[in-house]
Amino acid sequence: MVMMMAPGGTKEMCRMVLDEGADAVYVGVIGWSRRGSEHELTDDDIREVIDYADRLGKEVRVVVNTLPSSTEVPMFLDRIAMYASWGAKGFMISDVGCMRLVKEMLPDVAIHTSVGCGITNHRDVQFLSDIGATYVVLPYRLSVEEIAEMKAKTGVGIEVFLFKTPSGGKICPGKCMMSSYFSYRHWLDDNGKDHFFGSASRGGDCLRICQTNWEFEVNDVSFREGMTIKTNPALWLDELPAYLAAGVDCLKVPGRDRSDILVRDIVRFYRRVLDVIAESDAPDLAPFRPELETFRQRWVVERGHRDRRLISEAEREAMRAERAAFRNSARPAAAAQ
Amino acid sequence: MFELSTNVATPKQLRQGDYSAYDALYLGDFSCPDYPKNFSADPDLLAGGVDMVKSQGKKCYLRLYAVPSNHDLPWVRKVVEKALSLPFDAFEVHNLGLLLMLREMGCNKPIHLGVFGNLYTDATARLVKDYGVTRVYPNPELSLKEAIYIRDHTPIEVLMPIHGKIPLVVSETCFIVEHSDKAVEGDCKFSCSQDHWLTRTKGEWSLKDTGRMTLSGSDLCMLEHVDELAAARLGAFYVQSHGEDVDYAARVGEIYRDALTRAFAGEPQRDLSPQLEALKGLAKMGLCNGYYYESAGRRYFGEN
Repeated sequence: MVMMMAPGGTKEMCRMVLDEGADAVYVGVIGWSRRGSEHELTDDDIREVIDYADRLGKEVRVVVNTLPSSTEVPMFLDRIAMYASWGAKGFMISDVGCMRLVKEMLPDVAIHTSVGCGITNHRDVQFLSDIGATYVVLPYRLSVEEIAEMKAKTGVGIEVFLFKTPSGGKICPGKCMMSSYFSYRHWLDDNGKDHFFGSASRGGDCLRICQTNWEFEVNDVSFREGMTIKTNPALWLDELPAYLAAGVDCLKVPGRDRSDILVRDIVRFYRRVLDVIAESDAPDLAPFRPELETFRQRWVVERGHRDRRLISEAEREAMRAERAAFRNSARPAAAAQ
Repeated sequence: MFELSTNVATPKQLRQGDYSAYDALYLGDFSCPDYPKNFSADPDLLAGGVDMVKSQGKKCYLRLYAVPSNHDLPWVRKVVEKALSLPFDAFEVHNLGLLLMLREMGCNKPIHLGVFGNLYTDATARLVKDYGVTRVYPNPELSLKEAIYIRDHTPIEVLMPIHGKIPLVVSETCFIVEHSDKAVEGDCKFSCSQDHWLTRTKGEWSLKDTGRMTLSGSDLCMLEHVDELAAARLGAFYVQSHGEDVDYAARVGEIYRDALTRAFAGEPQRDLSPQLEALKGLAKMGLCNGYYYESAGRRYFGEN
């Protein structure tokens, strides 16, 4: 039976998606997942969500998929041990060294590789399985054939997003540092935790630099204007029976940074779709298409708001850094006068 | 002492370039298997390449394709099979699947983990060391302090890029082909030989694009910090010259060879202003210090 895993960007979202039929909910830890803190949960919230899911016979996956500083690794392991003791059944991890340490420390927990691992082939999958991954999450754009080959050659749990990139563009995330190249700041909090504004890999938000307006030039002559660098993924439907037949074990609904209501509606939708697929050898998904289209449109609207906010944050941070650099460079000159 | 290395994609670049400043060369373009005469993708080029590098008394490393899909694995295996029979000094991998494949193929050569290996922690460095990795290229987002921590606590050799554009994104499809009217997939017309730049319409942000890899607009420059690098006992330095002409590697290498030699001999640096001006002249969008000092990659602090 395939597991449907839904996002828990807020405590309320967690409750809604579990009530609507998700088998598990995934929640980010403040400072330790690839989102801003407004879409991550406090430890108290996480404990409440674990208890709530447990009462429903469902599970919680804790997202700790930053690529931490080396000095943070002991803190990282302590937190994982704490969440496991509260009843968290699995963790989403990007750093492969940390993954191995977690498996050694807690051999019975499920480890989901994060999309930040940047898997491209079945030997990657085997490597991750060898070091302890229970599920590997595949990038947005793999074909059914590629997924089937990965499953057949490794036997590891396969997890896919209900989200797909229609065409090319840059690999993201896992192999992208554009955001932090333009806007980035590092600081330590009172507990010794590193924070990295502008780097999704390190626990801040990706500032969506790729979604601003770019001009493409060749030999100083512009040939494309007002373009984005990356194509955005979209919710999908029709390939679902083929994906399940290819051996997909876990379907991941995206959207920790979307509204509670939109995510609730999407989970409710996919629950119905999966139930129809489970009841028929030749499921007819055509009646679901119009509804999917409305979800795609709602998604695009919410994403647009978020992208504009994050790009503005990138601009503000860049200006702040420029002002600070200017003040620093002006200081010696002023002192000399 | 120290090792200074750079990258060379093709036999033509190897023949035309002056690499006298370098101790070692990384052969191949790891981002694009379709790049014409790419060492990383053509086993027939390897013997000639390694011979030429060795005849110059340099170490020779082979770069493997960074983002191989399932259907790329067979041809990458052929490249590795050929290279294993030749006197390469190491392989460079960016992909954990290829790291596993090298071990399965009985590779007894040192392995270097490349820039897209996503190395952020000493825990990961220890893991890949168990798979035969002897040198790691820390993720560009790491500070100098973090890279040194990984070296000391793994322990393992770290490769420190000291000049050139910072690799920021790698993709399995070609961005230039996707947006070009002339080139089509499968027949790219080698469009990346022309100079492609992405500029934010508002004007203040820029990136260099080579099709399957996007690089920083500004050139990382650590010339003013070579004494600090030597004092930290770092020993493997790299000039990133992908997307540049062969004169770039020669001129930059010459400048850093001189500065590093002085630093490692404990001699005071001479006035670096002319060299900095030369480096600025080679950098279309100026210089930066990357993430070494815990700031946005494009910031440039100079000596401060």
